[in-house]
Amino acid sequence: MTNTDTTTNTSGTPNMAQVPDPGRRGAPPSRPPARRRRATPEPDDRSAISTADWRRHGVRRTWRTMHVVMLIILVVWCLGPLLLLAKFAITPTQDILRTPLKIFPNGIAWDNLDKAWNDVHISKYFLNTVYVAAGSWFMQILVATTGGYVLSVLRPRWAKYINGAVLATLFVPAVVLLVPLYLIVLNPPVVGHSMLNTFWAVWLPAGASAFNVVLVSRFFDNLPREVFEAARVDGAGPFRLFRYIVLPMSKPILGVVSVFAVIASWKDFLWPLLVLQNPDLQPLSVRLPSLENTTDKGVLMAALAISTVLPIVLFLVFQRVFLRGAGLGGAVKG
Amino acid sequence: MRFNRSTSVALAGVLSLGLLTACSSSSDDSTTTKPSGTAGADQVTITVAGLEPGAKQDAVDQLNARVAAFETKYPDIKVEPQEYKWLASTFTTQLAGGTLPTVFEIPLTDGKTLIQNGQLADIDAQFKELSYAGDFNKEALAAGTGDDGKVYAIPAKSFYDVTLHYNRDLFTQAGLDPDKPPATWDEIRTDAKAIYDATGVPGYGMMALDNAGGWQLTAAAYSRGGRVQTTDGKTYTATLTDPAVKAQLQWLKDLRWEDNSIYPGADLGWGDINAAFAAGQIAMFTSGSDIYNALVENNGVTADFPYGLAPIPVEGADAGALTGGTFAAVKVDATDAEKEAAVKWIDFWYLSPLLDQTQAVDNATTRAAANQAVGTPVLPIFSRDQYELSLSWVKDQINVPLDHMKPYTDVMFDQPLVGEPSRSTQPTYGLLYPIVQAVLTDKNADIDALLATANTQDQALIDQGKEE
Amino acid sequence: MSKDVVVPVSPPPRGGKVRERARPRNPLTWVRGGGLSSLLFALPLLVIFGVFSWLPIVKALIMSFQETTFVGAATWVGWDNFQNVLNDPLLPIAIRNTAWFALLALIFGYPIPLLAAVLMSEVRKRKGLFSALAYLPVVVPPVVAVMLWKFFYNPTKFGVFNTILGWVGIDPVPWLQDPHLVMPSLVLQATWAAAGGTVIIYLAALTGVPPELYDAAEVDGATVWTKIWHVTLPHLRGVLFITFILQIIGTAQVFLEPYLFTGGGPNNATVTILLLVYKYAFGNSLGAQYGEATALSLLLAIFLAVMSIVYFRMTKRWSS
Repeated sequence: MTNTDTTTNTSGTPNMAQVPDPGRRGAPPSRPPARRRRATPEPDDRSAISTADWRRHGVRRTWRTMHVVMLIILVVWCLGPLLLLAKFAITPTQDILRTPLKIFPNGIAWDNLDKAWNDVHISKYFLNTVYVAAGSWFMQILVATTGGYVLSVLRPRWAKYINGAVLATLFVPAVVLLVPLYLIVLNPPVVGHSMLNTFWAVWLPAGASAFNVVLVSRFFDNLPREVFEAARVDGAGPFRLFRYIVLPMSKPILGVVSVFAVIASWKDFLWPLLVLQNPDLQPLSVRLPSLENTTDKGVLMAALAISTVLPIVLFLVFQRVFLRGAGLGGAVKG
Repeated sequence: MRFNRSTSVALAGVLSLGLLTACSSSSDDSTTTKPSGTAGADQVTITVAGLEPGAKQDAVDQLNARVAAFETKYPDIKVEPQEYKWLASTFTTQLAGGTLPTVFEIPLTDGKTLIQNGQLADIDAQFKELSYAGDFNKEALAAGTGDDGKVYAIPAKSFYDVTLHYNRDLFTQAGLDPDKPPATWDEIRTDAKAIYDATGVPGYGMMALDNAGGWQLTAAAYSRGGRVQTTDGKTYTATLTDPAVKAQLQWLKDLRWEDNSIYPGADLGWGDINAAFAAGQIAMFTSGSDIYNALVENNGVTADFPYGLAPIPVEGADAGALTGGTFAAVKVDATDAEKEAAVKWIDFWYLSPLLDQTQAVDNATTRAAANQAVGTPVLPIFSRDQYELSLSWVKDQINVPLDHMKPYTDVMFDQPLVGEPSRSTQPTYGLLYPIVQAVLTDKNADIDALLATANTQDQALIDQGKEE
Repeated sequence: MSKDVVVPVSPPPRGGKVRERARPRNPLTWVRGGGLSSLLFALPLLVIFGVFSWLPIVKALIMSFQETTFVGAATWVGWDNFQNVLNDPLLPIAIRNTAWFALLALIFGYPIPLLAAVLMSEVRKRKGLFSALAYLPVVVPPVVAVMLWKFFYNPTKFGVFNTILGWVGIDPVPWLQDPHLVMPSLVLQATWAAAGGTVIIYLAALTGVPPELYDAAEVDGATVWTKIWHVTLPHLRGVLFITFILQIIGTAQVFLEPYLFTGGGPNNATVTILLLVYKYAFGNSLGAQYGEATALSLLLAIFLAVMSIVYFRMTKRWSS
């Protein structure tokens, strides 16, 4: 069902009303109705192999084996490079260069981490990355929530034009924006002062994410309107409605948008490379490549490892939000 | 709750404006070139090109010490060094973005075009105030002078010719005499093979990444008597198909595919090859004569490093070592006060150690104390006499392995020198480096065809440049 | 229009046109009705999208017909920029490389996530572990991933991959140095970094398979494999169509991998369209060619738009 809708959506006739609410899965009160109980109880989200199938010896053996093989492949392929990076971060440089795959290198070089953090000033670039991510997050949440509120809840007459104009940007590839956006940042309207080498140059454009607006307004579309009405009757104006009714109800979707925002800005490279030329402001992604030549391999690997820790920790902690968000990405991006 | 309508309008305005004006106020903190007006004209702050990304702490300390000395000498000037590295692939962004420091460095080859495009400040008046303004090497100064006869860029950081750098230990290990470095390209090939066979370390390395690859190919071609561009004084002709260029490419190809004695990748740029050499991963490469400075500054090379320096082979008529240099220029929108301060800094940081004994000794002492190289051979910006005199002032501080540089210093003033091609220089290098990459990575690269195509493109670039 | 908020859910929430027309257009009424607060709430969106999304799009259209320099105003040059781009000998190379990258990315990155997702959806215990492992590379910053893999791809016998090859007696491979091998090497890394996201999208789609379909198939006596073939996979068809075109649109704009791994080398073997755009706009030390850069990016955008439309026309019949 989801796929059909996204297809229609992508073909250029987006119809918000028909699209099911992707956020509903996360909305606390709305659990799918329990299915009728059957002879062999299946889990709610059953898949091709039934519980009965699992009881069969042949099926179980085949699939268990496939799953174990797959787990091994996943560990080697997905986790392996990261484990290697973790090992390099505390391996003496000569060992990294000569015997990269030796399980026990000649001693542990905790020194690498210390040097990377202090001498190579990874601490500074780490903080810059945090600033960039925090500001981008704030802008995205601000634009997406207020925008979504106008488009889905307040719904003034002109909302449909705005909505169309926002959706249209989804169809413009990012590359088209690159050069003109750069020139706008150099010479922004009204301000008349280059934003280059300021965090604003990254924060403000980050806010212009149509994807977020679509995600949030679809979620708002499906909030129960009775609640709004009740609030209105109690005398709540649009601001109160937003602050005390809509925002608290949209925590699940805000979680998804936040995770996307933070990870996206942590990963961003080309744009900050262009607009943050001052090394004192550069985030890790921009800074690391320029240190590649002049930094000792062990220290460099420690720097890479440090840069990876935060996103991975975030991922492990907010795994559910991440994975739900990623699934959503597929459903809505089209 | 009823929201007050007029407040909301006001708020809306404030919000949106505040959002945008906030940018301007915060950017003032980071860029300091804003003219301070007439009132506080006494104090002027300039940003200056400092060290490269990843420079070692010692180098940073040394620069800071010189800045402090400068600020003591000129109390009304404040100097803020800014990390700087000229790269063809990033310079435009900085130029367009106005994020260059007040004083920045450009390669000699780009001077003319930048002046024509109006992208450098006219510092003629300030330059003329230098007591030694008339003493510059005429040819060097010419490249920083506009068609209007005014000076826009000052020969500064270094003037050098392309030389051969080699690892003496690897020569010894291969049974070669490190005091007798190879003098022809054939000898380099033989020695590279010997080193590779004996040690497994690539005997030769070639820059192939970015314009640097084209630059080194040009240098080698010129050392074989070739040219990549000729002129009758009026029109300029691209001659990338010159036999010397072909010979050098064939030479590289042979090292790669017959001898296997060259670093097999095409991923070494100017900085990468320094790093590889400093790590003992290649035995020989060609680059500017002053590379030792960078090896110390960025790659942590110390006096123990088995460094050897020799001239590039010079073979055949018209052959010579390719020269090059770095100019100091000033941002086009600098105020007069900033230009004044900028030229004072250029004088202090780049030039006075070459001219003034006290400055020379001060500079050398702080450099030596910070374990930075003192005495690396370069070509004279002024005259040979002046250069040798300045070296004699600091002979106690010299810490570079002079003995191991003798093969070069013995002949540096006697060898023939040639300048870089003067039109569309960097774009020409940009067309050449993919061909260097091709011969190093593709056994079947068709040198003639690649050069013919590049030559057509190069001629078009030269012709385009002429119209402007 | 804020009256809509008050309207109970029963009438269509989008509001009838009749009612709108009937309402008097008095400014006071507009303010009372909450028009102003709507505008206020829309302001962040309008300002941010206006300046950083809509304006640049318009500007791109204008700039592609202009020559922009920093001295003096921009001049109109007609189709010159497009002509220069189309005559650039690097363009066919860039197109070929980009297409090659996209094709390889499809070969590496399209079927494997599908297989993985179908297998993973049958996992009963610790399903979370599987999806977490698969998704892990996606959260690694791409720059870190590329720099790490660049080290893995070291061409000497000490490289990580070459060490592994050495165990089975294979000579060192010049991963990034060989013009024929370099693109597959880039794609391998890109696939490592991206495949997890696709797996999760498929997995999400699979949770939407109506259980009744499986139940019905079981009544008909279907085996596991026939259930997968006749129920699971057909259900993914729509998502597969979407991810296919999305992946092509994404890979057509590949930049980071060639920029950081090879800078477009060796011998232009990894120059992609976006790298060319970058080169025009930012890569020439003697002057930026913004006109050419925007012209080329517009050409790419138009191509992708046309291709998507054709694609959806063609697949409409099968995907629904």
